[in-house]
Amino acid sequence: MKAVAHQTIGFYPGYRTINQIGYWEEATRKVVLERLGQSTALRFFTANEAPLAQAVVDRVLPQDDRPPEQHIPVLAGIDERLYSGRIDGFRYEDMPPDGDAYRQGLVGIDEIAHVLFGREFVRLTHLQQDSVLLTLHDAKPPAAAPTWHHLPADRFWRLLIDDVVGIYYAHPYAWDEIGYGGPAYPRGYMRLDHGEPEPWEVEERRYEFEAPADSLSGAFTPLGKLKRGAKS
Amino acid sequence: MSENGHDSSGVVKRLGPMQTVELPMRRFNDHDLVDYCIVGVGSAGGVLLQRLARAGFKVVGLEAGPFWDTERDWVSDEAGAHKLYWNDLRITGGADALALGANNSGHGVGGGSVHWAAFVPRFHPSDFEVYTRDGVGCDWPISYEELKPYYALIEKEMPASGPAHFPWGDPHSYPYGPHPVGANGNILAAGCAKLGIRVCLGGPVAIMAGSRTDRPHCIYRGFCIQGCKVGAKQSTLISHVPDALGHGAEVRDHSMAARVNLGRDGRVSGVTYFDRAGREREQRARAVIVSGYAIETPRLLLNSACPRHPHGLANGSDTLGRYLMAQAGNVILGRFDELQRQYKAPPAHALTEEFYETDPKRDFARGFAVQTVGPLPIAMAKQFAQAKGAWGWGMRQVMMDSNHWGALALLGEILPWPDNRVELAEEKDQFGLPVAKVTFTLHDNDKKMIEFGKNKVMEIMAAAGATEVVQEHRYAHLVGAARMGNDSATSVVDRYGRSHEIANLFVCDGSILPTQGSANPGLTIQALAARTADYLIREGEEVFRPGKYSMEPPPFRKDLSPPATWGHGIR
Repeated sequence: MKAVAHQTIGFYPGYRTINQIGYWEEATRKVVLERLGQSTALRFFTANEAPLAQAVVDRVLPQDDRPPEQHIPVLAGIDERLYSGRIDGFRYEDMPPDGDAYRQGLVGIDEIAHVLFGREFVRLTHLQQDSVLLTLHDAKPPAAAPTWHHLPADRFWRLLIDDVVGIYYAHPYAWDEIGYGGPAYPRGYMRLDHGEPEPWEVEERRYEFEAPADSLSGAFTPLGKLKRGAKS
Repeated sequence: MSENGHDSSGVVKRLGPMQTVELPMRRFNDHDLVDYCIVGVGSAGGVLLQRLARAGFKVVGLEAGPFWDTERDWVSDEAGAHKLYWNDLRITGGADALALGANNSGHGVGGGSVHWAAFVPRFHPSDFEVYTRDGVGCDWPISYEELKPYYALIEKEMPASGPAHFPWGDPHSYPYGPHPVGANGNILAAGCAKLGIRVCLGGPVAIMAGSRTDRPHCIYRGFCIQGCKVGAKQSTLISHVPDALGHGAEVRDHSMAARVNLGRDGRVSGVTYFDRAGREREQRARAVIVSGYAIETPRLLLNSACPRHPHGLANGSDTLGRYLMAQAGNVILGRFDELQRQYKAPPAHALTEEFYETDPKRDFARGFAVQTVGPLPIAMAKQFAQAKGAWGWGMRQVMMDSNHWGALALLGEILPWPDNRVELAEEKDQFGLPVAKVTFTLHDNDKKMIEFGKNKVMEIMAAAGATEVVQEHRYAHLVGAARMGNDSATSVVDRYGRSHEIANLFVCDGSILPTQGSANPGLTIQALAARTADYLIREGEEVFRPGKYSMEPPPFRKDLSPPATWGHGIR
């Protein structure tokens, strides 16, 4: 089955969470609408960093199958968090502050690209870019990439992927894609059993969703973890 | 505007769609000497404030976060709930460093009870004598029987919904009937039925199964940990704080405590704090109760170090900050051929405590519970990132399939260890106060429990019919770090929360728990607060005077409950 009317991606053809906005209360409407209209201007990442950061985010959560007007501005979301200094309430003792971690991590990603393929990350093919990122996913960056001697690859990977999915799956387009019911106050849900849809949710219609051939991220492999001893 | 900079002119705060509180509440000024200054208006602070105000004490609650208007400030949105958590910097380390913030710390009136899932199992009688029974951890200075009437009382004040017969620990019943079951409850029931494991459905959870007074019933939207706009899930913000204000208590929000001050007589004299405008102020008080939870409580007392107490207040034994505990909270995800849509219904609605007690056939002491959770999309994507190593196209794919997945969680008892602790870091916060540094490392018994427990939950998930089962290693809750005990050499406070070293300084929150069982701590924290309040009320003026004090148990007070709670329903 191919994508259908208004190009819904996912197994719930025609489903649009935002169509339910009339049933949400004002505070939630405001938050979700602001997210839909979010600026894509960058203030934290420099002009030099931005293309690399964009290329990384595009592989950590690819949107190549989305029409351009339905791209979720993931990098802008990360940029906004870092620019405003918003954190999740903690920092690992072996990690720099989040903003520094991103700046160092981007340098480190280019280092891996040079070690593996002899050129910058942005000039690599998608497949090569995935190879670079997979070394971070596996927590096994090449020893010749010096950044990762002091920046823990596994922590950086979780910082990156948690930010990316935190922005992507907060977006109503992503809710449509996964068939999530979305905000539900004051109406609530009535049908709790056996995956039954609410009257306004959509029945599932599955098709084969396969990762493109020029990618490595479609395979599920265990996340790497660096060994840490107890410090006194 | 009062002199301490708090605008309280004619504000109405909405607490759910039906309940309102009208401000101004009573406002004390800096030069007023209040009876009690409570630091932190969360699970314990809310209950203490309400009890002490009803008993006629002059009481102020300092709260670092805002006094919410739930209709205006809270949203039915996962990302939009960020502001409910303690997001200020903390440093975390150790071999098994804990993620902090959203998972375990609240900010704003109601504290963590605003974003808890509201599971309210009682601790088992065995939890109070872990050392005697198993030679691990330590015993509590009180027994289950001493806390039991407060469990029953708070279950009515919340109120709690659950089965008529809860079979584990000390079997008991619940005042409100069980909730309907969502996908994850069905999965737990199916898996447990297959394996012959007893299971409890529809609670126990502090969520209204029916309406009462100005509290509506649950609408099953699944946003419990994002703050219940419905007002069905209990937080002390909606269950106890309104009654506290009605009886003359003050809640001073946006007030960040900096240190507890010591008078010339060696007793505490008040609390220095930063007000809404960032100005340093002092609230003088005849007694201080610290209720900042397991990280901020030790941090405040450590930051209160002075010449007489160079290592922090109540820390002569070097116990303050130590014995911090989290519970193992591994999330087990299972894929089913049938659709689940597990995001509906309260995350907390079914559990089994069949594995709670020590079993000599296992190679570790103590045990674990198995409970439902209910991850919304962002949480689930983060879980897949670890549990399946998902990223890129794989992340897109598994999330497109997410309505086929169910979720259960381990809730396992990690024991108290002295090296798991809260200290002060070199980094400072926006007020110039040193932030907390948290160190956490699993020990052998903990690791064995987690290994056995996660495998058991995976077995239940598979027995329910899941065709693929994966798991994410994580933690839930934080307690300990200012534990209570009879021996001042090995504990920070006594059985009523009074610090061993300073007679008018008290701690009352999760940090006083000596061990944690495999039960969510919220009910126990609120029950302990009600008990400490009864003690303080019985002691009366004696608390404020130097001299000997009584260790006799206080009379159990049923007449201090918020209106229309105690005395209603079954039992």
